[in-house]
Amino acid sequence: MTATVPRAGTDRPDYTRLIQPDRVHGSLYTDPRIFTEELERIWYRTWVYVGHESEVPQPGDYVRKNIGPQDLVLTRDREGQVHLLVNRCAHRANLVCEDESGNSNSFRCPYHGWTYRNTGELLGYPYNKGYGGKGKLDLAMGRVPRVESYRGFVFGSFAADGPSLAEHLGEAAGEIDRLCRLAPEGEIELSAGWLKHRTRANWKLLAENETDGYHPQFVHGSIFSVTGSPIGALYSDRSTAVTRNLGHGHSENDLRPEFRKFGEPMRWFGTTEDRVPEYAAAMRALHGDAADEILVEGAPHVMIFPNLFIAEIQVFVIQPLSAGECVQHSTAVQLKGAPELNRRMVSQSVGSVGPAGMLLADDTEMYERNQRGAEQLRPEWLDIRRGLERERVDERGLTIGTATDETGMRGFWSHYKTLMEDQT
Amino acid sequence: MADNDSRSGVVTGPGSTALVGSEFAEVAASVDHAGNGPRLRLEDLRSGRVRFLDALELESIIWLPEGHLRQLLDPSSDRWREDG
Repeated sequence: MTATVPRAGTDRPDYTRLIQPDRVHGSLYTDPRIFTEELERIWYRTWVYVGHESEVPQPGDYVRKNIGPQDLVLTRDREGQVHLLVNRCAHRANLVCEDESGNSNSFRCPYHGWTYRNTGELLGYPYNKGYGGKGKLDLAMGRVPRVESYRGFVFGSFAADGPSLAEHLGEAAGEIDRLCRLAPEGEIELSAGWLKHRTRANWKLLAENETDGYHPQFVHGSIFSVTGSPIGALYSDRSTAVTRNLGHGHSENDLRPEFRKFGEPMRWFGTTEDRVPEYAAAMRALHGDAADEILVEGAPHVMIFPNLFIAEIQVFVIQPLSAGECVQHSTAVQLKGAPELNRRMVSQSVGSVGPAGMLLADDTEMYERNQRGAEQLRPEWLDIRRGLERERVDERGLTIGTATDETGMRGFWSHYKTLMEDQT
Repeated sequence: MADNDSRSGVVTGPGSTALVGSEFAEVAASVDHAGNGPRLRLEDLRSGRVRFLDALELESIIWLPEGHLRQLLDPSSDRWREDG
């Protein structure tokens, strides 16, 4: 790709030129300097999804997590409070935790034995006379300055100040609500284990693709034909589903209009009510007449900027590592109080995003080809104009396009540009 | 086969050792019956050091205030000290 042209009078890339309403420049996916700026202005500033409270259910539980290349430890202390620590010893910067998960109320660095509470507080260090005695050092493990949860979803921000999580989530919070209301106990758990797919592509190709309704009939044609899935038809020009720009870079494929048309409970899950009788009975007992609507409309398909993708029955987390590399973390959603459905969620997830799965492998092939294509010199631009002229505003005041329009991408880039041009 | 010691109410199986381990420490725990009453046998598997704790000592640990426990976790509190 051609080198990024700096904006006049600065040495920073000219994002106004690189991001236009109907096209974006290829260097946005390939330029290491832009990636460095993204870390500073997006990943180390805005709210980023980190993990779920259900991953540390007991006091003393911890799991390794990340924000981009930052290695983090999500912990739960004795009082039940969740903390987000930077996995780095305050002494010589060694990684303190090595295991992916475990239970320990305190952590001992293997290098020189410095020991920390799982809140990050330094408890002590060996041979303390070298420091003038006990408790003489005002040091601790790094902490992510702001940590907040929404319905169990834990987000972190490396900026001490800025918009609240509620402000950041905005309209996307309702999609998390919609997922949680599918659980008989009103909560979800991410307890099925994680798959990690290292992907040689820029993270934004993934974020854009998650609500791109134009590609499924092509990229996923084989799985649709093998399984006889009706999902493909949801993403056609005849579909009544819509692509919605939820603001703040978030977007969704709202498939509810199609599901309402059929009015069949559990069609969204590719099954019928009689195949999951215990779950359906629990939901009907809980919600009464409202259960029909919940079971017909199903789960959201929403991309929450910059890295959380809820794809009905799965959760994906995008972890960027460099301009040309990222990791996709994926797991099956587990609905609290729905063991019958949860088993199916796991097996469906294995079939779609597992090592031999048929969905993510297809997408990832496209991501990596796309990255290689973006590195080519001509043409310099990627086109994002599909449906620009037929966009409209819905009753909530949000911009929507048809099922196959690039409305979500344009929302993503609009927010991205705001963050990257921010002069503060 | 389980050995039900009616005098103490302790139910254990012969050789039943529990392992409590993390990436930071590994300790084997078992109930020792060599004495006149049961006691907990703890072995630090990384150093081989063994400590026995009787019921009263265990009860005291349960009642140990959080602050005392934190002091014990300071590596230079007892184990790694210049005069140790």
